[in-house]
Amino acid sequence: MSSAAIETKRKRTAFGLTIPTGLFVGTFCVLPLLVLFSYSFFQVDFVAIIREPTLDNYNRILHSGTYMGLIVKALVYGIGIAFLCCVIAFPLALFIAKRVTVYKSALLTLLLIPLYTGDLIRIFAWRVVLGAEGVLNSLLQWMGIIHEPLWFLLFSPFATVVVLTYNYLPFMVFPLWASIEALDDSYIEAAMDLGSRNLGVFFKVILPLSGPGLVAGFLMVFVLVVGDYLTPQLIGGSSGVTVTSAIHDMFGAAFDWPTGSALAWVLLACMTAFVAIALYTFYRSPWGRGIRGGRR
Amino acid sequence: MTAIQQTPASANLLEARGLVKDYTSFRAVHGVDFSIPHNCFVTILGPSGCGKTTILRMIGGFESVTEGTITLDGSPLMHVMPYDRPINTVFQNYALFPHLRVKDNVAFGLDIKKIGKSEVSRRVAAALESVKMTSMAGRYPAQLSGGQQQRVALARAFVNEPKLLLLDEPLGALDLKMRRHMQVELKDLQRRLAMSFLYVTHDQEEAFALSDIIIVMNGGRIEQIGTPEEIYHSPTNTYVADFIGGANLLPGELISVDSTSAKAVLKTCIGTVETECSKTVSMGQPASLCFRAEYLSSAKPADSESISFNAVVSHVIFQGSTKLVEAEINGQRIIARLDHETEAAVGESIALQVSNAKCRVVHGSPVKPEDAP
Repeated sequence: MSSAAIETKRKRTAFGLTIPTGLFVGTFCVLPLLVLFSYSFFQVDFVAIIREPTLDNYNRILHSGTYMGLIVKALVYGIGIAFLCCVIAFPLALFIAKRVTVYKSALLTLLLIPLYTGDLIRIFAWRVVLGAEGVLNSLLQWMGIIHEPLWFLLFSPFATVVVLTYNYLPFMVFPLWASIEALDDSYIEAAMDLGSRNLGVFFKVILPLSGPGLVAGFLMVFVLVVGDYLTPQLIGGSSGVTVTSAIHDMFGAAFDWPTGSALAWVLLACMTAFVAIALYTFYRSPWGRGIRGGRR
Repeated sequence: MTAIQQTPASANLLEARGLVKDYTSFRAVHGVDFSIPHNCFVTILGPSGCGKTTILRMIGGFESVTEGTITLDGSPLMHVMPYDRPINTVFQNYALFPHLRVKDNVAFGLDIKKIGKSEVSRRVAAALESVKMTSMAGRYPAQLSGGQQQRVALARAFVNEPKLLLLDEPLGALDLKMRRHMQVELKDLQRRLAMSFLYVTHDQEEAFALSDIIIVMNGGRIEQIGTPEEIYHSPTNTYVADFIGGANLLPGELISVDSTSAKAVLKTCIGTVETECSKTVSMGQPASLCFRAEYLSSAKPADSESISFNAVVSHVIFQGSTKLVEAEINGQRIIARLDHETEAAVGESIALQVSNAKCRVVHGSPVKPEDAP
């Protein structure tokens, strides 16, 4: 066989291996999304869909304070909770990667266990903890620290932030742990050798060099938080309206598929823009050296 | 040699006394004593796992000291954090920060010390100049070759003007040509900086090329401390002789030892020899006769100052101007580096001789090939 023929065969094999995934994603993800996209240009008249392409839906959403407010709220929650997760996960990831030796995999598995239990169970568990008659209020009252139950603990933005942060923490710990684990100890030793104390070592060496994990975790948590509408709805009380729950309502109760899909696409566009800007900024920053290596 | 003579009468720069390092399952360093004089290139030489890197890391502050003391200029170092020690390290893999440019890597230590910006850039420029890396100041480590990274790592360490520079097999990752070149530069740099270097390597050739003092280690213990000449010509025991390479070691029976004149009489398979012996040789202990391959010559008319013997040639290796002849006598293997014109055919007998004065009685039995590192 000539080398060109081998090369062609190789390419064909590689291509062939991607066919099942390609077909699956194409049929069950891209195609429905495209159908959805086409719907976003239609109008609805009571229960009938008028198939005349128009940009009215987009116009209405972009000029509506409510919808844009919901999208901004979703992005703010996504960024805020991803940031909170960073702050909480970093010490843990650092500890597991650089201090734990024997029980490393056990600890990591332990982190995953809450994920096995399912969304609803975890959310209701938090209601038991945070409710007016809940564990936390009872405990504080019993200790005499408070005399009235704290009402803001449940059905409030506070509760939403606490539960979302808890829910998505593992998605931050894992990529962070992986990138700190891959960070050679000699970098840390070199920084200490050159006179850096603990905080200096962290901010000058560990943080910049775990950039890839930080960004991966941040974006993962961001996307998941933006998409989560169960938690805000069940925990957030009157503050629990989110853009995703609005989309859900539009497809369900309101039977306004065109507006729903237009809203979904505006949200998707905003998220894609944020992720793209975040990735690009990171890649161009000195911290992006962690991924780029020496290439300019 | 010269560096030792220049050393002022004042105390040594670094003193290690009874240094022990225990890990959970084993003892890595078994109570070693050594000192590092001022302005001196000291090398710890030994096979991998002999504890040499552990010692370096204890001096750098990256490993705790189980027992014993390390003092720098008279003050104890054991409970001082690495960032408070006036010591810098060149790491085996260089550990250059990949997210920082060459000049920022070199400035890393100075920036922490709160020195003026202009002073920092002046010293960084001077350091890069002395390792010929000025043109690379704006590059990132990944854009440099191994040899260039090595120079930057050196500059990053010595720019802080430490009292002692630790180097952990820094030439290990370089190819042979680059290694030779860097050896010359390292030695030159140490002289110019007038700083003490503590260098760790498993490469005896490198140790000879660089060092004022060599510390030969094995299994967590020091076998010998001496100048390269002493280590080469007067090994104290069979381990050192064998590790340095090219030495013939023949087991023998001690007839007598005179410790005042440091002479011993040893009966071996090539005859009974009276010659110089190392201090550790004593009656009742195993002893061997040591002589280097190049001290052997094909027998000319025998004289009373030499030992002559016949051996059967088992291998001949052509090496250009010389040939390496491996021969056997009474089951003992002898290697001789002979002139290339010497006639030696495999399976035939060859007459060899070695001058009495070139032989040395050392402590220990010959290291068996399967035990050799």
